[in-house]
Amino acid sequence: MSNTAITPPERADITRFFPVKTVMALRRNRFLSNSKMIGALLILAPLGLLILCAPLLPLQAPLQTNLMAMMQPPSLEHPFGTDRMGRDIFSRTLEGVKISLQVGLSVAALALVVGMLLGTLAGFFGGLIDRAIMVIVDIFMAFPSLLLAIGLIAVMGTGLVPVVMAIAIADIPRFIRLQRSLVLGLRTRAYIDAARTVHASQFWLMSRHIVPNSLAPMLVAASISAANAILVEASLSFLGLGIMPPAPSLGNLIREGQLYMEQAWWISTLPGVVILLIAISFHFLSDGMRQALDPRSRK
Amino acid sequence: MIHQGEITAPLLDVRNLRTEFATDGGTVRAVDDASFSIMPGERIAVVGESGSGKSAMAMSILRLLVYPGRVVAGDVLLEGTNIAQLSERQLNQLRGRSVGTVFQDPMSSLDPVMRISKQMTAPIMRNLGMNYKEAHAEAVEWLRKVGIPDPERRITAFPFEMSGGMRQRVMIAMALSCRPKLLIADEPTTALDVTIQAQIVEILKKLTSEANTAMMFITHDLGLVARLADKVAVMYAGRIVEFATVEEIFAAPCHPYTQSLLRTIPSPTALNTSRLPQIPGLPPDMKKAIQGCAFRERCRAATDICAREAPALTDRGASHVAACWQPEGLGSSPIDAQPDRALRRNDGPFRDRVIVEINNLNKHFVSSSFLSRTKRNVIRAVNGVSLRVRQGETLGIVGESGCGKSTLARLLLGLEKPSSGEIFTEGLTQMVFQDPASSFNPKMRIRSIIEEPLLVKRKGDWRTRQARVEELVKLVGLDEAHLDRFPGQLSGGQLQRIAVARALALEPSVVVADEPTSALDVSVRAQIINLLADLKQELGVAFVFISHDLLTVQYISDRIAVMYLGEVVEYGPADLVFNSPSHPYTKALIDAVPIPDPAREAKRASAVLKGELPSPLSEISGCTFATRCPLATEQCRTEKPKLRQHRKSREAACHYAK
Amino acid sequence: MLAYSLKKLLQLVVTTIGVVMLVFFAMRLIPGDAAAAMAGDTLSGAALERLRDQMGLNDPLLVQFWNFVRGLLVLDFGRTLTTNLPVSDLIRSAAPITLLIAIATIILAIAIAIPLGTVAAFMAHKGHKTLDNLITGLAMIIDLMPSFWTALVFLLIFSLTLGWFPASGPISWDDPYSIVMRLALPILVLSLSQVAILARMTRTAVLEVLSEDYVRTARAMGWSELRVLFRHALKNAALPIVTVVGLSFGNLLNGTIIVEAIFTIPGVGTVLINGINSRDYQLVQVLMIFYALLFVFINFATDILYRALDPRVKF
Ligand SMILES: Nc1ncnc2c1ncn2[C@@H]1O[C@H](COP(=O)(O)OP(=O)(O)O)[C@@H](O)[C@H]1O
Ligand code: SF4
Ligand code: SF4
Ligand SMILES: [Mg+2]
Repeated sequence: MSNTAITPPERADITRFFPVKTVMALRRNRFLSNSKMIGALLILAPLGLLILCAPLLPLQAPLQTNLMAMMQPPSLEHPFGTDRMGRDIFSRTLEGVKISLQVGLSVAALALVVGMLLGTLAGFFGGLIDRAIMVIVDIFMAFPSLLLAIGLIAVMGTGLVPVVMAIAIADIPRFIRLQRSLVLGLRTRAYIDAARTVHASQFWLMSRHIVPNSLAPMLVAASISAANAILVEASLSFLGLGIMPPAPSLGNLIREGQLYMEQAWWISTLPGVVILLIAISFHFLSDGMRQALDPRSRK
Repeated sequence: MIHQGEITAPLLDVRNLRTEFATDGGTVRAVDDASFSIMPGERIAVVGESGSGKSAMAMSILRLLVYPGRVVAGDVLLEGTNIAQLSERQLNQLRGRSVGTVFQDPMSSLDPVMRISKQMTAPIMRNLGMNYKEAHAEAVEWLRKVGIPDPERRITAFPFEMSGGMRQRVMIAMALSCRPKLLIADEPTTALDVTIQAQIVEILKKLTSEANTAMMFITHDLGLVARLADKVAVMYAGRIVEFATVEEIFAAPCHPYTQSLLRTIPSPTALNTSRLPQIPGLPPDMKKAIQGCAFRERCRAATDICAREAPALTDRGASHVAACWQPEGLGSSPIDAQPDRALRRNDGPFRDRVIVEINNLNKHFVSSSFLSRTKRNVIRAVNGVSLRVRQGETLGIVGESGCGKSTLARLLLGLEKPSSGEIFTEGLTQMVFQDPASSFNPKMRIRSIIEEPLLVKRKGDWRTRQARVEELVKLVGLDEAHLDRFPGQLSGGQLQRIAVARALALEPSVVVADEPTSALDVSVRAQIINLLADLKQELGVAFVFISHDLLTVQYISDRIAVMYLGEVVEYGPADLVFNSPSHPYTKALIDAVPIPDPAREAKRASAVLKGELPSPLSEISGCTFATRCPLATEQCRTEKPKLRQHRKSREAACHYAK
Repeated sequence: MLAYSLKKLLQLVVTTIGVVMLVFFAMRLIPGDAAAAMAGDTLSGAALERLRDQMGLNDPLLVQFWNFVRGLLVLDFGRTLTTNLPVSDLIRSAAPITLLIAIATIILAIAIAIPLGTVAAFMAHKGHKTLDNLITGLAMIIDLMPSFWTALVFLLIFSLTLGWFPASGPISWDDPYSIVMRLALPILVLSLSQVAILARMTRTAVLEVLSEDYVRTARAMGWSELRVLFRHALKNAALPIVTVVGLSFGNLLNGTIIVEAIFTIPGVGTVLINGINSRDYQLVQVLMIFYALLFVFINFATDILYRALDPRVKF
């Protein structure tokens, strides 16, 4: 097999491309050159730092009461003020953020893994498996998500693990649907056909082609799901169905402050602002990821 | 700058038009310093590859560009009025009324939730001051003129109830119904089949000359240009590089790009015995500022000055301008450095060894509706096909879209199971797909892509596989530097080469290529066709080459099978089938193909095949072609003709084939 | 169309059966059983066993399920444990309030969100980013504000500080004024997040339609921007918007539970939370089914409406 007579490569454009390393570096930089991503980092990084350093800061411990300083408005000593037992709202908020992040990340991870697994099965094999999975998905999706979480909490009881489970179960159907539709779209791509012409196994097709190509949009969905989980956990705790006091969570902090809205607005208001900031940062994260992972959607 | 023979004032005069798109990667200068004019009733063709700025120029004329596109400089004078200075309101008076527009994609150009009647009557009422009843009658009349059967009934339809060809007719009727002085048609037939294209072109020619409407016809098909244009503007990388009468463009092109393009088209006349000349390289990246002549990297006549300064349009004749520093362009020198190799026909030692045999193959897709399982819709995608492929030969399969070509390919590859019939193959069958963009896993490097078949089949260890991958990539004319890229970083032409490399990895006996060149730019197509022809000769591998492009199929194939509605209606040696077709459908197809030669086009009878493909759902008892066949008789409608040998080495499915 | 409706109806039935089964059997998973959970530490031994008998918990599971289903079918949902009132009476008095909140919110939200989203899309399409960014940015922030927190802030400002609306008080159907005053804030709070969701979706839908070829055709025929927007863009964008309205109804139901709790409104949500707190699982399962069926039915309706609006699917 000589190649002497075969057309030379399109030389003009070979030089046009960067060396591969540079291309990779540029790709990585796309994450950073993207303003949404930076916004998310600007919120999450200091928060993370604060949580990690909380024990080192001159803050009152989250559970420590101080009857000499009850219902203090925000001050330098108590940036978010104190509650009716003189506990420091700021350090309680940081503790709450920790729980929020735990809930958000665990729910996103659970939903991602289970959703990808079942969604891939349903989309790839179709038929009876698909129908069975989708009927169950439909049943779960018949409940408004918060309501389903409430119902599951009623069954499983309160606390961190049940809350994570409840929110994840309420969220998984959506992931299954998304993954299934991604798989259905990918299944008809020509490169799948190309692999099938050399009799690649089903497992080969799924692990080499389908899963890697559905990962990016699923990760985007996962970070939205994290934001959502944080909001739902807060709602549950607020309703008294999530993390139970005295353990502080952002939701039950607000619940406790609800009774003193008139006398001490800060107890409820400030943790709420923190929830909002975290939710926004996760949304920025997802928007940023969407842009970074999909060059076509760059505007 | 451009000389007009006539004394009358031009209808449209475009001067130094410049249009830009602000994108992330940089500003794309889609139209750069374009100047031309159109006289009343004149037909101008604008040719160029995709991305050369044809659409952007057309849209700029009526300021129809949307963000991020913007006309940054230049004047557009329509009957002396400068459009650049009009208010939005005044512009709306011109749009539709003075200038009508037809776009490329008929499937999406009509509002899907509005009836045709409403979409058509509203502009008539507004522009011609008619009441609803008159406008409705007028609209029906126009639908009749563009060849829509039963227009009184069809006018109440929604667009989705019509075929693409029908919708394009509606678009034309709509654009012409307000009696514009200029019709801008942006690739109006690109999405349509050749026989429908021929009908649409006929209608456009007839209706515009009846009303003395000028037309700006945008296309990338030089054959169409020869068929209908008075004058031609050739665009490359945003610039008009040549502008002349249609005769001059074809007889005495001056710009190297025009010259090259004309030579890369397979000629329909003689037996093609030498390889296609090909333009090397790719069109430039429009996101970067272009220094000097944009064509210079692909131009054999380029000199130092070409890199420094962009040439301006200069006179080359009475009404002929071109933008090139060389007075003759390429002159008679070849367009690339390739040796002019003979293209050997299938005359190897194996010629009669059959390696694929298809016997009475059927593929019927059945869809049943939810309510009645008994009322089933059956689409006979492949219907009783029998074919043979011999070792080392290229079998071309032609036919209009939906005739079952791709289904046949998928059956051959085992991607679909036949409903009945048999396929025997000796050795492996591999595939090259139409759309290079979706043929590769975007997350994999080219190296792993080519390696994948070897890996699946566990061929050799890592080292031998790598060696094989490198060998393959060279075989298709690329080099190892490409192996570490991702598919998104290569051009369409390069990707099709990679597809060929992947297909050859396991040394198949047959490679099925389904429209491998139709997603590529005209100037890159010849490269792929030459590659396939070379590989056939060097490796002795057989190709099944599927395409709707008759000229290409005819050029590359040893034998041709013509398909219509799932059936093979004619089969035989390529040149014989093309030059003396036996089946009326083959003849009609060949007649419909525009030939890039104005003289021959002028002489050709406009024997246009009537009607459209019948619905694939309909059950036809006699000859499937009888609904459109000019020779159809009573026998044809009742008795189905079998594919039979009627002459030495030729088969046709027609009662009257001789 | 008929075939489609029937198919969807069948799906609706399957889902409904699934929902009932899920709720019923999930409630049997509660550690201990409903009787023990209800009694807490107050009863023991024989007394608890009597309560079980009384609640039918000693019947075979399938019999219990059949009794439950039969109860649902004849709208006899049993009595509450704490107050011994018929559950159906409770629902009859609570449901209208929740529905009123939901419907008023949807109407208000649609009225605000669609123009807002359309304007944003139009601006984005024309490349005027500022107004678009403002609207989409605000919408995102509002959407992400925890609704219970927004409710509290509104309560603090409009009830406690400004005193415009009462924070508590009876709701009586005979006194429309009291209804308006008591429901105004909850509806406002819920509308905020609904507006945010719908406006974003409207923007996406309209923006997509605006870049369609037929919009270009309409422009090329000389129609003004406004006519293009109303006659072509909005009409086509209506289809996806209908779907989104249906889906966001779930969000809305979530929201009603929360605002009812905060503004002490005796709606279904309040009954539900009270039921959970008093461990009245009979009541809880009926309410879960109530919410699910409401949501499923709304989505069924929007599906059908979608089909009815789209000429392409009438066959
Ligand atoms: N909406 C757009 N955004 C950015 N660039 C565009 C857009 N539309 C066209 N272009 C660029 O403008 C150039 C000319 O495009 P076009 O006029 O569509 O070419 P043609 O009609 O000849 O195929 C191309 O480089 C194309 O990428
Ligand atoms: S000769 Fe020079 S100016 Fe003419 S086309 Fe070639 S590169 Fe361009
Ligand atoms: S059999 Fe009759 S209808 Fe069919 S192609 Fe021949 S002449 Fe035409
Ligand atoms: Mg174009």
